[in-house]
Amino acid sequence: MKADLQALLDACVDAIIIIDHQGMVQTFNAAACRIFGYPSDEVLGRNVSMLMSEVHARQHDGYLHHYFETGEERVIGIGREVMARRRDGSEFPVSLAVGRVAGAEPARFVGLLHDLTSRRRQEQQRRAAEEAVREARERLTHVARLSTLGEMTTGLAHELNQPLTAIATYARAAERLAGQGPAQHEEVVSALQQIAAQALRAGEIIKRLRLLVRNRETQEELLDLNALVRELVILAQSDARANGVQLQLELAPVLPMVLGDAIQLQQVMLNLVRNAIDAVCADAGSERTVRLCTAPCDEGVEMGVLDAGPGIDPAIRARLFEAFATTKPEGTGLGLAISRSIIESHRGKLNWRANAPRGSCFYFHLPAVSGGS
Amino acid sequence: MKATAPVVYIVDDDEAVRGSLRMLMRSVGLQAQALGSAREFLDGYDRHQSGCLVLDVRMPGMSGMELQQQLNQRGATIPVIFISGHGDVPMAVEAMQHGAFDFLQKPFRDQELLDRVQRALARDAQSRASLAAGAQIRERIESLTPRELQVMQLVTQGKANKVVGATLGVSQRTVEIHRAHVMEKMHARSLAELVRMVLDAEDATQNP
Repeated sequence: MKADLQALLDACVDAIIIIDHQGMVQTFNAAACRIFGYPSDEVLGRNVSMLMSEVHARQHDGYLHHYFETGEERVIGIGREVMARRRDGSEFPVSLAVGRVAGAEPARFVGLLHDLTSRRRQEQQRRAAEEAVREARERLTHVARLSTLGEMTTGLAHELNQPLTAIATYARAAERLAGQGPAQHEEVVSALQQIAAQALRAGEIIKRLRLLVRNRETQEELLDLNALVRELVILAQSDARANGVQLQLELAPVLPMVLGDAIQLQQVMLNLVRNAIDAVCADAGSERTVRLCTAPCDEGVEMGVLDAGPGIDPAIRARLFEAFATTKPEGTGLGLAISRSIIESHRGKLNWRANAPRGSCFYFHLPAVSGGS
Repeated sequence: MKATAPVVYIVDDDEAVRGSLRMLMRSVGLQAQALGSAREFLDGYDRHQSGCLVLDVRMPGMSGMELQQQLNQRGATIPVIFISGHGDVPMAVEAMQHGAFDFLQKPFRDQELLDRVQRALARDAQSRASLAAGAQIRERIESLTPRELQVMQLVTQGKANKVVGATLGVSQRTVEIHRAHVMEKMHARSLAELVRMVLDAEDATQNP
């Protein structure tokens, strides 16, 4: 029986240490020697605190006293992660389980220690890998956003030209009217009000633009999709106008909030709207209207972009969301692939369905935040 | 139709732009009407109203270029000044080929636009006057008797009364009487004026 026990102690991959009521080491198995780097004769008969990190070591005797005085078990039968110390002084994480030897008087305790060093390392590596993937995705997302905005430069310049034209014209008109005496006072005031409003309009366009251009980490917050759609239209309008396309908003009057990154979700919307504009411009017979809809749905919230263009060729439907699948001469084929990855990172789904009577509906679902308002 | 002041029509889908243009026109005492779409303009367009059209090239629905083509098909002669947010040379060329009066890029100097508007209004007034004159001449020609018409045609070809008489088989005296009636009915003070009227009328029937 004694030999069996010794074999068990030697074969065990985890360190097994038995101490007496004063904390003196009585048993130190082969695994313990390997893990801590001590030959057993350097440990046996000495206080177990030599195997602990400084913080634990200082408190260990106190723990024992506390246990004997109150009978309160802090570690026994519970198990916890602590820092241990090797012979060379280096500290490492272990998971520790402690049991009291039944019937032994004075008391003896068995400690089982599992070395967590390699598990910790793996965890760190996994986390680093995940972080790298996330960073790469964010970089790609940002680059896609920049390239989209690059393609939109002409339209955006035009969009800024509108308020600037209005401002310049109102100012000159007001100047002339002001010279015509007090009868024109009201008109002059109205021109000044318009000038102020149009300057703010131009500023708003620039603000939207800067938000999209900025490179920043994903920021999740509570969002109202309707508000996002309305903001987006300020930018998307440029593309629509340049192509003679009308944007129609059909927003649900009441919509649950969602959790997400506002800029990334707007990037998806912008991508879908630009695709829809391309679609209705692709053939002359299409009605030049693109509809942006929001609605509550089983999954939470749905946002859809609908066009009456030629629709999607059945031959490429299956590859629609794959990277580098494109039907456009200047397309990179990344827009929908990136959009889908953004929506999936928001725990949602991006999909396509046919629009009646013709055209496409690209839509995504996002989970609603319950109780959020 | 004769006494009403010309109207500067402004068609732009951007409310602020068309509002500012309307105010600019009014600030120099011009009558202006601003409309948000090409369709709206076409639906309310009265070809008897003199004026000009300041037109945005790109608009949702019917574009400015499409509106110009519609107007051309209807034989409307209203001068069109295009305004565009894009330095879109091919589009400007196309618009000019289809008879646009001018093409301006946003944002523009107010005086630039006002000068063009004034020139467009002047041209509209001129073409309306000559059209009206053409119609008046045709009316007068229609009041001539067949014989008077024959006399007028020969006289304006430079034939002498004697030759006209011989051609028509009447006396020179009779030709003189017809010729006096022609001059009176046509309100012509000289043969040269009569010749110009006949040429204008022919031009007008060839290029309506």
